[in-house]
Amino acid sequence: MSRKIGLGKKKELNAELNLTPFIDLLSTMVCFLLITAVWIEIGSVEIKQSKGTQAQESKKESYDLDVVFNSDKKISLNLKKGSRRVQRLVVNESDFEASITQLDTLIATKIKNFKNKAIDIATATVTPNSKVEYGHMVRALDVLRKNEIINIGVLSASGK
Amino acid sequence: MYLNQSLVASNPFEKHLIKRKRRGGWGKKALMMSLMLTSMVDMFSMLVVFLLQTFSSSPEIMITKGLNLPNSFTSAEVREAPVVSLSKDGNLYLDQVLVGETKKILKSPEMLIKKLNVIKNTWVEKHSGQPFPGEINLQADEKVKSTTVSSLMGILTNGQFQSIQLAVVGSN
Repeated sequence: MSRKIGLGKKKELNAELNLTPFIDLLSTMVCFLLITAVWIEIGSVEIKQSKGTQAQESKKESYDLDVVFNSDKKISLNLKKGSRRVQRLVVNESDFEASITQLDTLIATKIKNFKNKAIDIATATVTPNSKVEYGHMVRALDVLRKNEIINIGVLSASGK
Repeated sequence: MYLNQSLVASNPFEKHLIKRKRRGGWGKKALMMSLMLTSMVDMFSMLVVFLLQTFSSSPEIMITKGLNLPNSFTSAEVREAPVVSLSKDGNLYLDQVLVGETKKILKSPEMLIKKLNVIKNTWVEKHSGQPFPGEINLQADEKVKSTTVSSLMGILTNGQFQSIQLAVVGSN
């Protein structure tokens, strides 16, 4: 065919790609990628710690929330404006799961809608307890983040 | 006649038998399977590209062996930073290297602070003119006491690592 088209004497080009090593390479790559892949999705929850009075100075008119773990089931919520406490709520359910659900409901209904008015929480501080596991504390942080409270700090024993 | 293939037989029946044998044995039909190599190569290439894209888009951090991270449904993407790990057996690791027992380090954190300062100074030397972001990844077993984690956070904050990212298993 190609001889008919061209004017000069051209040889017919019959370049065949050797597919076997190509398939070998691809299958090896697929196997390697599947074996080395990390299937667990690791994420992060950001905590912004403040030193001393650093956080207090910048927010006089905004609301702050203190989440205090009294025990695994009892959680106190203190809503503050400036440094004055304006509301105190206590979650005390039969188990941790029920307490977390109740915490979520209270934040969504009574904290974020304080006196039927939508408010923004500038910062939230979580105070842990020796009876509370770290996994449970992360669940509480999750609830705060779900309710659009992003600036979260954890109160520590050695440094505020 | 197939003389070159040594198909020489005296009668047609013998010829028929020889033909059958050549086709693939007695009583079996010759099996001719054609594999569509082009589409197979296409499929493989697409699979390789997909896997490379999926697993290279986000940075990965090493998880200390035997650590059960807590679950979170509001997790964000992990950022590259030094990793401090608190294991269930009571040991503390910094970038996969054992620093010591958590209890002892919480009582006298000088050694950890010294190591954190080395990391900080190395970062400052590499990124001259830029403010230190103070980012650190904190991995802790979900069964560890929350007060232990918060005490460690206090030490990290004092060591100017104020943006702490708690490593979690994303379940969203």
